[in-house]
Amino acid sequence: MTGQRHKPFFLWRHLNKLRWVSLSIVFAMLVALPFLHLYQTYVAAHAYDLLSPPEARIYDVMEALTQPFVSDPAEDLDAVKGNTWSGTFWGLKLSDPLAALGQMAAGRTLYWPFLVTALIPVVLTALFGRFFCGWICPATFIYELNGNFASWLRWAGFKPGNRHFDKRIKYGVLALGVIGSAMTGSVVVAAVYPPAIIGREIYYVIALGGFGAGMVFFLATLGFDLLVARRGFCRYLCPGGALYALLGRYRVVRIRRIVENCNDCAKCNAICEFGLDPLGDGFGQECNNCSACIAVCPTDALTFTIRPTDIPAQGPGHLGWRYRREAEARVQGGQPAREDKAA
Amino acid sequence: MERRTVLKALIAGAAAALAPNTVRAARFSSTLRYLRPPGALAEEDFLARCINCGQCGEVCPNRCIKYFGLENGLGSLDTPYIIPREKGCILCMKCGDVCPTGAIQPVAREAGAILDGVKMGHARVDESLCLSFQGKTCGVCYRACPLPDIAITVGRLEQPHVTDKCVGCGLCERSCIQMPQAIRVIPDRG
Repeated sequence: MTGQRHKPFFLWRHLNKLRWVSLSIVFAMLVALPFLHLYQTYVAAHAYDLLSPPEARIYDVMEALTQPFVSDPAEDLDAVKGNTWSGTFWGLKLSDPLAALGQMAAGRTLYWPFLVTALIPVVLTALFGRFFCGWICPATFIYELNGNFASWLRWAGFKPGNRHFDKRIKYGVLALGVIGSAMTGSVVVAAVYPPAIIGREIYYVIALGGFGAGMVFFLATLGFDLLVARRGFCRYLCPGGALYALLGRYRVVRIRRIVENCNDCAKCNAICEFGLDPLGDGFGQECNNCSACIAVCPTDALTFTIRPTDIPAQGPGHLGWRYRREAEARVQGGQPAREDKAA
Repeated sequence: MERRTVLKALIAGAAAALAPNTVRAARFSSTLRYLRPPGALAEEDFLARCINCGQCGEVCPNRCIKYFGLENGLGSLDTPYIIPREKGCILCMKCGDVCPTGAIQPVAREAGAILDGVKMGHARVDESLCLSFQGKTCGVCYRACPLPDIAITVGRLEQPHVTDKCVGCGLCERSCIQMPQAIRVIPDRG
């Protein structure tokens, strides 16, 4: 339309690639840490001559990878331990807010040395919303690949499930998990939270040579996503996602639609992993700022903004036929010939 | 609507918090003979604190810390344990340092602090199985002990005598050359 069109900052549409880099790095770290741990134990045992050939291979590879950075592997490699559920980075301990909540419920006490480890994630969530779900969560890495697999299946003629449920179910799961933790006196919510499961199970498989109950649960969620609902666990069931959504309800950094640039093509709604409605300005607390909609938008109509609430619905995009017809009707001074009620 | 769900959760959580503790206590007895990592709180507090992050096992240089599946009940799922006959604890005390929740308390790696802060169990000798009590000098458990002459003393024919200072690390049980082992750690999980 007339007037200067506001262009979003050009890098925003490449953020989605950066997000994949971030997800890949987190996942690669989760795979590397158990191998590094094995290497540390071999070093600590002074056991190189006693290693089996596969163990010696792990030793050699890990030694080659870490030699430039550490002088005493058995001690220095302790700097980074753990996973996204709770981890240690050069003395800085970080924990998932859900771990803090579940532990509070299970112990019915406030253990501050642990609760402060969740402080940085909570503050970041208040600023960036569910960013953990889109940018860090190791389960997201697998779930999104699973979603791509579903696309291939659709291309090949199979029909992956695409049912829809009520997104509020996950708040019930969160409530149940907290109640269950309080009743059993242990943090059982960790047993149904995919990123915590992934972090543990990768370690079990690599370092302990077997997988636990969590792996079965996680495979079941993959099947659910594939056969029942696209990205179903994250959308409808994840207790951690529910907590992050609540914490990030009034996030400051959010995505908004530039209505002047929008042509109502609805690619953003189709790409959105969480089934949100960018086209109708409906982001809400569920949006994880993954920026996939920005990357897919053909007319640069989506951008980041700094405000604590979504913009109220702005109506049809100014490049779309619906807006044009309404504008023509306004110019003629009368009502449009056919009022299009479709939202 | 979310607010209502959260309120419901809070109310139900409060109701659970008022449930009689006797019901809870029954859940913490186990028929399995396992140890918790050194410095672990008493079983009930330990389970309430542990968030199953797995860092204790990941930092253990001896790889003696393993994780429960469902065999010890849902409450123990993914919590750390040590089976001393498979691999004992070398009392490096790294797990207490890395534990974010204090389920495993940090204990300094020196004899005094370990004797005060660690109570995984207590070793007991079965004299009918022990070689030294059968007239064959052995003494392997004494030599495996990280606190020799404090936790174990030896007498004639290297017959072991466990003192009440024993912290239950399990290295003696791991090292015992008898099958079945003549010395075993009786867990003390509080």
